[in-house]
Amino acid sequence: MNGWLVAAATLLVLGVGPALWGAATGPVRRRVVAQNLATLLVCLVMLLLAQGYARPAYIDLGLVLSVLGPAGTLVYARLLADELAAVPPTARVARAMTTLSVAAPPLVLPLCVVTGPGRSLAKLLVIGALLMAGNTVSGRAMAGGAHLQRETHDG
Amino acid sequence: MADLLIVLALTLVVAAATAAVFTRNPARQALVLALLGLALAVVFTVLQSPDVALSQLAVGSALTPLMLLLAVRKVRGRGRHDGRAREPR
Repeated sequence: MNGWLVAAATLLVLGVGPALWGAATGPVRRRVVAQNLATLLVCLVMLLLAQGYARPAYIDLGLVLSVLGPAGTLVYARLLADELAAVPPTARVARAMTTLSVAAPPLVLPLCVVTGPGRSLAKLLVIGALLMAGNTVSGRAMAGGAHLQRETHDG
Repeated sequence: MADLLIVLALTLVVAAATAAVFTRNPARQALVLALLGLALAVVFTVLQSPDVALSQLAVGSALTPLMLLLAVRKVRGRGRHDGRAREPR
């Protein structure tokens, strides 16, 4: 068991566990953010596992998840729009989503350094960019969608 | 020591499944089910079968919640429609 696997196990316990708790309790806005956080964390866990098992092919899992995760959050923002509008996301939620989008690339960077130039590096860079863009877009969709709904309800 | 990751991932699956059972609202259950899908994908990856994990990711984290939410939406819309039609005028 090397350091990468230890890091993956730590991320599972300290990251995905609390995210599960957040998704299982509380208001809808917190659940959606917790689910988004879990997607991001599991994506990073996949990358760490790929490095830990020394199998570059496992990086594809992270790539798929970085595409599917934000798409799923957009689906929730759209289909749960009524409930999100009833209890609109606070500024804290929007800030949390922004923090998530900024926090992803620094976590991918060490993996990039270890991987060295090549195909895997390109994949990792794409994953980092996708995570950042996806979290930004889905955060804006959650805040913006609820805001629009409220305006139409008022008007 | 190498089994630690497997144990952790399985514990996550058990916790997510229990949480999904005890969440009664289907719309909220969809979110917990998405997490259950993610946990299962981690289990499959730890057990060295990335192909299964890949399909589990697509089905568990995206398709199942989407279908559940669409079904809830359709049922609710129909219920509202019927209620309005039955209202005495």
